[in-house]
Formats: sequence, structure tokens, C-alpha cells
Amino acid sequence: MIEEPYRWVEAIANRREYIEDQLHRGSPVVLLGFSDGLLLLTVSRKTRKVFEIYDRIGFAALGHPADIERMRMIAIDLAHIEGFNRAVNDVSLHRLVSFGMSPALKGAFEQVYGAPYIVKILLAELGEDSDRDSIVKLDYDGSIGGSEAEVKEFFDVIAGTEEAERQMVRYLADSDADPHRSLEKALQLAALTWAVGMETAERSDQAEREEGKTEKIDAVKALKEHLKTRRVEAAVLDRNRPTASKFLLLEEKELRSALKDL
Amino acid sequence: MGHPIPPPQCLYDGDFPGVLKAYGYEIASRLAAVGPKFADEAHKGAIATEGTTVLAIKYKDGVLVAGDRRATAGNLVMYDRAEKLINIDPNSILAIAGVPAVAFEIARVLEHSFKYYQRSQLQDMSTAGKVRSLSKLLKENLPLTLQGVGMVVPIFATYEQGNGKDGGKVFFYDAMGAQFEGVDYAGSGSGSLAVRSVLHYLNTWGEKPLAKYNESEAVVTALRLLNTAADSDTATSGYNPKSNIVPILRVITQDGIREISESELAKAYRTEV
Repeated sequence: MIEEPYRWVEAIANRREYIEDQLHRGSPVVLLGFSDGLLLLTVSRKTRKVFEIYDRIGFAALGHPADIERMRMIAIDLAHIEGFNRAVNDVSLHRLVSFGMSPALKGAFEQVYGAPYIVKILLAELGEDSDRDSIVKLDYDGSIGGSEAEVKEFFDVIAGTEEAERQMVRYLADSDADPHRSLEKALQLAALTWAVGMETAERSDQAEREEGKTEKIDAVKALKEHLKTRRVEAAVLDRNRPTASKFLLLEEKELRSALKDL
Repeated sequence: MGHPIPPPQCLYDGDFPGVLKAYGYEIASRLAAVGPKFADEAHKGAIATEGTTVLAIKYKDGVLVAGDRRATAGNLVMYDRAEKLINIDPNSILAIAGVPAVAFEIARVLEHSFKYYQRSQLQDMSTAGKVRSLSKLLKENLPLTLQGVGMVVPIFATYEQGNGKDGGKVFFYDAMGAQFEGVDYAGSGSGSLAVRSVLHYLNTWGEKPLAKYNESEAVVTALRLLNTAADSDTATSGYNPKSNIVPILRVITQDGIREISESELAKAYRTEV
């Protein structure tokens, strides 16, 4: 049946619908600049979602854990092969995504007899200075998204639904825009943005059942409610770290003390 | 990145040399293919550059690792500013004696192996695992070793943390990859006979065992030892005041790796050596 072009388009459309249905309750990820570098934050139940790819590259994703792992492995393999064969400075996020991860995702997505990756990825690379930082959003079909928000300052988000992403970007754009905020401030803002995204995604579920109810989201309340069953997970790419690797997974103690005053 | 991407499923054990192979890279094959010709030339005269005399001493706070600066090819001094200590990760140093062409490649594979393991498996490799990784690489180098052109006999020094037995550890290897743990010290390279003899003497009949030395005592001892080795071994450089070339000394303690600065070394040379 796939031989007919129309059927193929239909099969792809079905697949898109299936994947988006799988993703829509995924836990959002927030990327935010702070005084010393970049912060990646999400809130997770059990499996880890924020990872180190290379000395200056961080990775966070939502979707099926096994697919996240496979994409992470592809990225790590490619980065280390390049770092080994040439030099550490030759590992670049742009090449990793454009020539490695994106084709892998697109290939799997369009092979309608095989399983696609159910995953959305946010990657960040720490540059020599903040002007050279870069962010890449990678979708399950391999399409590479830039940041809609870059105009104002350095941040980006991924979430299960487009509406959730829109709400999160709006929340970030409306809040304090100082890119030299402290890590503590950045953690608080990122966690609240996460709550806005998660709440939006969950409400769209409810909205299908009980139409027309649009109440303004109380980010602090929503975050506290979610943290009863989940925990915050965050990592920084910190320009001031003395080691070659600038990536550091933050400890739970630090996260708790930053978020206790909300 | 010109290669097609192999399926990552087969690479899930965190073994970086395995990843390299999947991408078509063979660690020693290119050199091994020309080995016989190379060996022939090497017997006629100088061709392969070699580095000599490295040592590691376990002292009070951790491990001190030292290496002279000379690289030779037969009776020719190739380079008098060679660096034979290579930081492999924040707590480990590889001190190389033998053919640098192979040793640097081994160090590079090793460095990436540890990083790759840590990032892909989300845990640090154990000391035993690290020691074993180096052993495997040396074994792969066996064809070159047997042809007499690519021998490497390194020392691996590390500081173990977090399992209740914090402390420095020193391992040395033979050219075929067998590993031995140095209880108090280790030496390798052409000048190591002198070094090990003196260390044995100091450790057994000296004022106090090496393990009780403080940092400055360990530094002075290492500098004196390198000068002793240079006295009888032409392939080892001592301190050369005219060109101001000093050996490289690093310590590994619970705070990680720190290099002993040239000014500290110069002071030690002025007063103690």
C-alpha cells in the first residue's frame, strides 16, 4: 500500500499524529542563560533527562526513555569520534546536529515500516563567550528549530505541545529579562516556566473534556503541586569551571535551597 | 564524520575502542603494516624516537609523578623539551617511557575512553577498569613491540576516592601489557634502574619510608633521582641550567592534579639538588 504516493503521505501523517499523541504529556525542558553560562532544567519522575554530550555540550529531551537514550548515544559517539580524530575544539553542536542526529531522526521517521524516535531534544553549546553560545531544538522528524525567543535574550524551551511551548516562551519573555541573573534566580525562573508548560499541557487534556474553562495559571502553586511526586533535575554549562568539561549536574541540595523561597 | 552512522545498539557497553573500530579506526594497524621495514631500518641506525625515565612516588598526600624532558632517536637527541606526563582525567596521569608516536596515541585513546565511559554509562570507571583499559591497549600494540619499533612501558598513577580507601595508587606495565601495582613507587624507561635502586635503598634504610615524605621532600627526592639517572644514562636529561630546562613534576592528591611550578623547582635546585 505504501507504494502509492498518496498512501505514503497518509502513513506519514498518521505517524505524526501518533508521535504527537505520545509526546503531549512529556515533561517540558527549559534552557536559560545566567551569569556564568547556561542552565538546563526539567522535572522528572524517575529516569534522567539532562545529560552531558561533550565538554561544552549539554542535552535534554522529552519522550520515550529508550529513544532518548539512543539519540544520546548517537550524539556521544559522534562527538567523541570527532574529538579523538581531530581535536576537542572541532566538536561543534552545529555539525553534530546537522550531519548526525537530524539525518538519523529523519531516516527513522520516514521509514514507515520501522519504529520512529518518539523524542524532542534541546541541545546547548557553551561558547568562548556568551555571544557564541548556541541552542538547537530538534524534533522527532529531524527538523531543526531555531529559537523564537532569541531576539530578547538567551533562552528556549521544549514541551509536549506547541501551545505549552508558546505559553512558556510568553512567561519567560514577560519576566525579568536580566541575562546576568544569578544561578539561584535562573533556577527559580526556569522551574516556574516549567510549571507553566506542564500545567498548560495537562489543561489541554482537561479542556477536551470540559470545554471553555480558561483560568490563569498560578506557576508557584502548580510547581509545588508537581514537586510532591517529582523532582527537579538541572545541569549547568559553567564557563568558570576549571576543568575541560564545563558540564555539571546540580545536586539536589542546591536545587532545594534555591527553590525553597518560592 | 564522513562515515555512515553505525547503529548505536552495539556500542552500549561504553567501550570507546569498540566505537573506534565500528567507525573503521584500527589503533595500531597502520604502523604494524610497515613494521618489518621499520624494524629493519631501526636496527641499522636511529629511526624511532624514544622517551626515557619517568617515576612515581607515593607520599603522604598522594602520588608524585616526574619525568625528564629528553626524547632520543638512537644516539641523537631529538628533543629536549618533551612532555612525558599526560593527564588522562582529573585524577590520573600516564607517564610514558618508550616510543612517543605510540605512547601519545595510547594516551589519547585512553583519555577518550574514560570520558566516553563516564558520559555514556553515567558513572566513573573504577580504578581497576582504568588499569585494565591501558593493559588492553598495550596488548594490542604487541606486534610493534615484538618488532622492536613501538615499545611503550608506561606508569599509570591515580588517586582513588570515594570507596573508603582514599589514596594514591601506582601501576606499572611491561611492554606486553601485564600490569603490576607499585606498592610504594615505580620507575620506567632506560634510566629507571638507577631510580629504582635508590628508591629501594631510601624506602628500606632511609630516615623514614617514602609514604611519610611530605610534598617538598618528595619533590627534592624526585629531582635528585632524575639527576642520578642522567649521570649514567645518556638518554635521560638532568637539569640544564644553561637552557633552563627543568623536569616536569606533578602531584595527584584528593584535590586533583597540580603541576609543581618552575619557580618552585628552580628554588629546590638552588638549595637542595
